[in-house]
Amino acid sequence: MKRTRKPGISRRSTLALMGTGAVTFAAPWVARAQAKTIKIGMPTILSGRVAQLGTSSRNAVMLEVEKVNAAGGLAGRQIEMVIRDSKGQPQEAARIARELVNTDGCEMLLDGEASSGSFAVHEVARDLGVLCIHTCSEASSLTADPKQHIPNAFRCVRQGIHDSIVGAGYAAGIAKAKGLKKWATCSPDYAYGRDTTGEFVLYLKKFAPDVEIISESWPKLFQPDYTEVVTKILQAKPQALYSCLWGGDLTSYIDQANIYAMFTQMEVFAVNMADYTALTVVKNLPKGIHSGDRYIKTFPPTPENAAWGDAYKAKYNEYPTNWSWQNATAVMFLNEAVKKAGSTDGKKVAEVLTGLTIKCPFGADGTVTMRADDHTLVGYAIGWGTTIPQEPYVPDVKAGDWKAIFELEAEWKKSKGYT
Amino acid sequence: MTELQAGQSAQPLEVPRIDARPQRYRDVLIALVAFVLLALLPMLFGSKQLLDFVIRCAAYGLFATSLNLLVGYTGLISFGHGMFFGLGAYGFGLMMQKTGVPIPVAFVATLAMTLVVAVVIGAICVRLKEIYFAFVTLAFQMLIHSTILSWQSLTGGDQGLRGGIPRPSFLGIDLSNHLHLYITSCALLVIGLFLMRQIAQSPFGYTLRMIRDNATRASFIGIDVWRAKLVIFVLAALFAATGGMIMALFVSGAYPEFAYWTISGEGIFINMLGGVTTFLGPMVGTVLLLILNDTVTRLTEYHGIVLGVVILFFAIGLRKGLMDFVVEWFAQRRGEERG
Repeated sequence: MKRTRKPGISRRSTLALMGTGAVTFAAPWVARAQAKTIKIGMPTILSGRVAQLGTSSRNAVMLEVEKVNAAGGLAGRQIEMVIRDSKGQPQEAARIARELVNTDGCEMLLDGEASSGSFAVHEVARDLGVLCIHTCSEASSLTADPKQHIPNAFRCVRQGIHDSIVGAGYAAGIAKAKGLKKWATCSPDYAYGRDTTGEFVLYLKKFAPDVEIISESWPKLFQPDYTEVVTKILQAKPQALYSCLWGGDLTSYIDQANIYAMFTQMEVFAVNMADYTALTVVKNLPKGIHSGDRYIKTFPPTPENAAWGDAYKAKYNEYPTNWSWQNATAVMFLNEAVKKAGSTDGKKVAEVLTGLTIKCPFGADGTVTMRADDHTLVGYAIGWGTTIPQEPYVPDVKAGDWKAIFELEAEWKKSKGYT
Repeated sequence: MTELQAGQSAQPLEVPRIDARPQRYRDVLIALVAFVLLALLPMLFGSKQLLDFVIRCAAYGLFATSLNLLVGYTGLISFGHGMFFGLGAYGFGLMMQKTGVPIPVAFVATLAMTLVVAVVIGAICVRLKEIYFAFVTLAFQMLIHSTILSWQSLTGGDQGLRGGIPRPSFLGIDLSNHLHLYITSCALLVIGLFLMRQIAQSPFGYTLRMIRDNATRASFIGIDVWRAKLVIFVLAALFAATGGMIMALFVSGAYPEFAYWTISGEGIFINMLGGVTTFLGPMVGTVLLLILNDTVTRLTEYHGIVLGVVILFFAIGLRKGLMDFVVEWFAQRRGEERG
């Protein structure tokens, strides 16, 4: 019989050897592929008039991402943030969001856009189906309007309607106590200013029916000179003034109104005053301006919140903004959701995010919730207080009641035809 | 000389007429080749970013080239051309959201609406000269921008048209498919450029150049300067609106920023980059600006400085746009070869 098998290494063993070799060489690659970083894209505004807010968003995100990465990352994958400037232009925001997902391989988006930009990114999320958390847009319609609803988008931001309900409740209490009947309003002339003021007045009249609005001013957004607005209000002689001016507009308004000693002549309710960007910039911050909390490290008055504010200040040498806590909260939500889902798959994470409650230093009761039915943040710390010219600026903040907010918000949604 | 001879010599002179047809065939050929090349791009490169880039080039390219019909060909420096870009985007978006008509109907209806607005605004503006024309167009642009901001119930104010633009399929074209949107944008770009080229090369186009160089002389030889300016103002508005519609489809919405003066500023910037003396200058400028924008914003957040330096280089260094420079350089080289 002829031996067919030749001495030496057989084909089988060669194959086995090659297989083993391949596995040995490939092992680190496979491991690396599994542990490969997860990219999260973030279009935000890093230039122009609101650049400070965009930068503070980036700072807060990086602060939290470092913590998550130090603790092992998202499901074992280190986070790599890809953050780009949209200049506040919606077409750029849309382009960048698409580029981040399609070209840079980002698996999730944090949308750090305000106003129109957030709606543009929302459309990208609708088109590409990528998991997206809005972190800066306060426009209620972004989540309240059912036409906007998509399963993969969430909003981790405070809302105009919540602020108005709490603010009006607080203001009505003071109006009744001090007998403030004649009111004036002064707000920026665009959708946010008109909507927020309208809602505030609606609820103020509901809580204190004898309030009367005797003067309305609508300065243009980014208007440099407020003289005519200030004199108009002074001539009307109201007992109280409501304003939802914000940022640089609010600080220049206060500086200019100070010249006319406006703040000694009436009670002023400025919802956006208690933000360090405004508090630290005003030249002579008047005592006793009523304001909602934007971000302040003394409210909620917990050690966790104070520690977070201090850690931010230590790292970036300035205090966080309202956009900062919202962005930080978004990263906390992602971290918790990925832990629960046990995966970084966008769809699974979105399912877990829906209705998720997490521990959070910015929660009214130490927790915040991503409400299931409209994918929006609720339960965050919200309240009003009065200013003093030095730290802590707003020493005593009166917390709003979330039960009352939910009731009135449901009514409001009905009146808008959203439910 | 007899009377008969005198009569013979009085026959009309034989004016050599340049036949425009060969040039038109050449343009058709170039347009077809350009379209085929663009259509082949997605097969050669799988990059979605490239498709996005070309779609944006189509939107801005149509806008900038139409602005050049005013700036370069007629000498009308419009600072408010962006209003028609915004009108196109809003008109189309609103039509699709509110009425649900087929896309081609909305397209034509938007053009019709832009035509009406452009006739009214143009009739007022084109009577004015130079800086007055520039400023009144800017004023109209800001008027339209403010209207968009304040007419919240219709336009959504500063938040823009929300909820996405519905895109029912028509003739087998489904614009919610990105590839279909890409091909449609390319087709609109090529057709738009071809039509604008025909306008620029027509006798009417040469009338415009004459008005630019000497409006008084033009009116003395019987040209109705006001009417010619109005016609080109309206035509340019229609192409700008087409650009706006492409942009609205790209971002699936319309935002007040589309009608803001910065868009007009970008148009002027593109024309400066690319050059206004050649037809394709603004298109080259568009590609340049978008490449610059996309790469610079990727690398640094101080993109303003980089873009500023580039425009300074073109304005002070070259003193002309890129295409002007290239064309002159070629002409010079050819001259040297002959000499």
